[in-house]
Amino acid sequence: MDFTVSEELGNVQQLAQQILGDFTEVDKLKVIDQQDERFDAELWKALAEAGLLGLDIAESQGGIDLGFYSLTTLCEEVGRTVAPVPVVEVLVGAASTLRRFGSDSQKDQWLPGIASGTTLVSAALEEYNNDDPTSPACTGNKMDGGCAISGTKICVSSANAAARILLSAQTEEGLIVVLVDPKAAGVTLHPQHVTSGETRYELVMDKVQVPTEDIVATASEARSAMTWALQATRTALSAMAVGVCDKMMRITGQYTSEREQFGRAIATFQAVSHRVADCYIDIECLRLVTQQAASLIDQGRPANDEVLTAKIW
Amino acid sequence: MNIELTPVQKALQQEVREYMKTVMTPELLEETKNPEYKEGGGPEFRKQYARMGADGWIGLSWSKELGGKELSHIEQYIFTDEVVRSGFAYPFLTTEAVTPVIAANANDEVRDEVVGGVKQGKVTIAIGYSEPNAGTDLASLTTKAERDGDHWIINGQKMWTSLANYADYVWLAARTDPDASKKHKGLTMFLVPTNIEGFSLTPVHTLGVRTNATYYSDIRLPDKYRVGEVNAGWKLITGQLNIERLSLFTHGQVDSLYQDVCQWAAETPAPGGGKVIEQPWVQHNLAKIKSGLEVVKLICWKQVWTMDQGPLNMADASVAKVYSSEFFVELYRTLLEVMGQAGTIATHSPGAVLKGRIEFRWRVGAVLTFGGGTNEVQRDIIAMAGLWMPRTR
Repeated sequence: MDFTVSEELGNVQQLAQQILGDFTEVDKLKVIDQQDERFDAELWKALAEAGLLGLDIAESQGGIDLGFYSLTTLCEEVGRTVAPVPVVEVLVGAASTLRRFGSDSQKDQWLPGIASGTTLVSAALEEYNNDDPTSPACTGNKMDGGCAISGTKICVSSANAAARILLSAQTEEGLIVVLVDPKAAGVTLHPQHVTSGETRYELVMDKVQVPTEDIVATASEARSAMTWALQATRTALSAMAVGVCDKMMRITGQYTSEREQFGRAIATFQAVSHRVADCYIDIECLRLVTQQAASLIDQGRPANDEVLTAKIW
Repeated sequence: MNIELTPVQKALQQEVREYMKTVMTPELLEETKNPEYKEGGGPEFRKQYARMGADGWIGLSWSKELGGKELSHIEQYIFTDEVVRSGFAYPFLTTEAVTPVIAANANDEVRDEVVGGVKQGKVTIAIGYSEPNAGTDLASLTTKAERDGDHWIINGQKMWTSLANYADYVWLAARTDPDASKKHKGLTMFLVPTNIEGFSLTPVHTLGVRTNATYYSDIRLPDKYRVGEVNAGWKLITGQLNIERLSLFTHGQVDSLYQDVCQWAAETPAPGGGKVIEQPWVQHNLAKIKSGLEVVKLICWKQVWTMDQGPLNMADASVAKVYSSEFFVELYRTLLEVMGQAGTIATHSPGAVLKGRIEFRWRVGAVLTFGGGTNEVQRDIIAMAGLWMPRTR
């Protein structure tokens, strides 16, 4: 049993904090929030230059290959700063999944661009009334030179800017995982504004042709890929929640220590300090279950129950 | 980051688990049906405790000099977890919390007598801190010890002196400097043999367990039973409180309840057909408990791992205490809900489910929310030590 944060990982965290901190001052975020897309291209570039987009990408594909756990560390820091960058969808849902389940040529084609920040590949795991990408309502029909995908995915991040979107569909021969080009014929994108303030997209596909080279996995391999993508995404979102909550708690502690009413800092009222203490306990719980899930995935071990536990927290 | 037990740690876990099965003899199970002996102290308990001593299981965390094995905190936790899981009323406060303090501070004669006795599984010690008017504010205690040559005259009353009904000594905090302005600085620690003249007790029956009020009436205690310097008792008390919590909160004891209820729910028919566990609300209850149990496990592991690396952060210790104690109560409640009315049948009555273990634990569970440092004070500590918020007044 070892909870040690390696020196390498500590460095990643420090570097991420520094860059994300610089780009997420309140004024800068205000400007970004005025944009149609909640995406900071400059920040994305800075993260790429620091190597942070390639944390879980092989060195031969332009990454620095520190593994999945390090990626959750980045997600936590993105959460802490509510930075406008699609790390979960692009780096976890798409890149990390491709890394483990894509063909060599797919990896060579997409991962270097993701690591260098020049290409976005997103992932679409959700449908209406269905959050399980291993049993999608979207369908795929085999055809010469590839297959045709029909159906709807929802709340897809970066769908307008992405070169490809990783998603699953059901075919007569079983599950299939493909990379869909959102600019291909038959694709319609409708903006969807969601709670986080981001613009996401409803992705409607009507017999969209996907060439063979963009088929990532089929049958049981496709199932493994979607299971992995879902678990990794949930874990990354949990890590992000750790960052968001931890930061909220700390600014609450700080603010209530400064804010005075009845001649004293309101933090000296137990009704206040105990609520913050309860947050502290909850966040420690969330952190522990997230670390457990992330370290198991990192080692390629079964992590289903542990991921669900983190998700519940 | 690899949050799992190593093969060596797993082997220790298995070894303790197997050994404890031999300690929980049918005679002992029979004996603990008597409420007087539920918390230990019966003849069979004494026999098995002494056997653990003879087999070298007591004091594993102690220094080699004292005959211990200097186990790491992780290993010590694995031992504790398994012993608690077995249901044996092992006197952790004696072996883990008090004895090491006595070993470090008592004179040679008393050290041999007490520490040696504990090592052999022949001695148990009750803790005498709380008084009718001194609980959370421990430093305001009034039981006093006055020097009389090479003796001390002790007078006063202690409350919640659990296990004093069979313990051989009370580890007693007494005021030796009556100057009220020296609240913390006027306390001294003593070991009071329970067979000494002037010591008496009355039982206090709580919702679940028996505890005691203990009385100290003109006790003439030889000075050799003073532990540590005069008026230097406070740091002996506070040093012990953190260690105490490590044995109060362990994963195995509640995990085994959860496992048993899952099994019960899988085997027991539900009113509308099918099994109890097939009902969505039951699954929901069980899943909620499972996700909380994971945290108990991780919090305990993180805590002992941290202690092996260096001192434990005050806020983290309090997080573990508050979370675990309140989750335990929630766990009992939620599991009882699954079992329904039958879950409330006490152990000795016909129809008791799972021997009434959860019914019993539900009654006593709340104790830990104030025992070992009340949770409100722990939250104060978290806000101060964890978030640097100003002290609450």
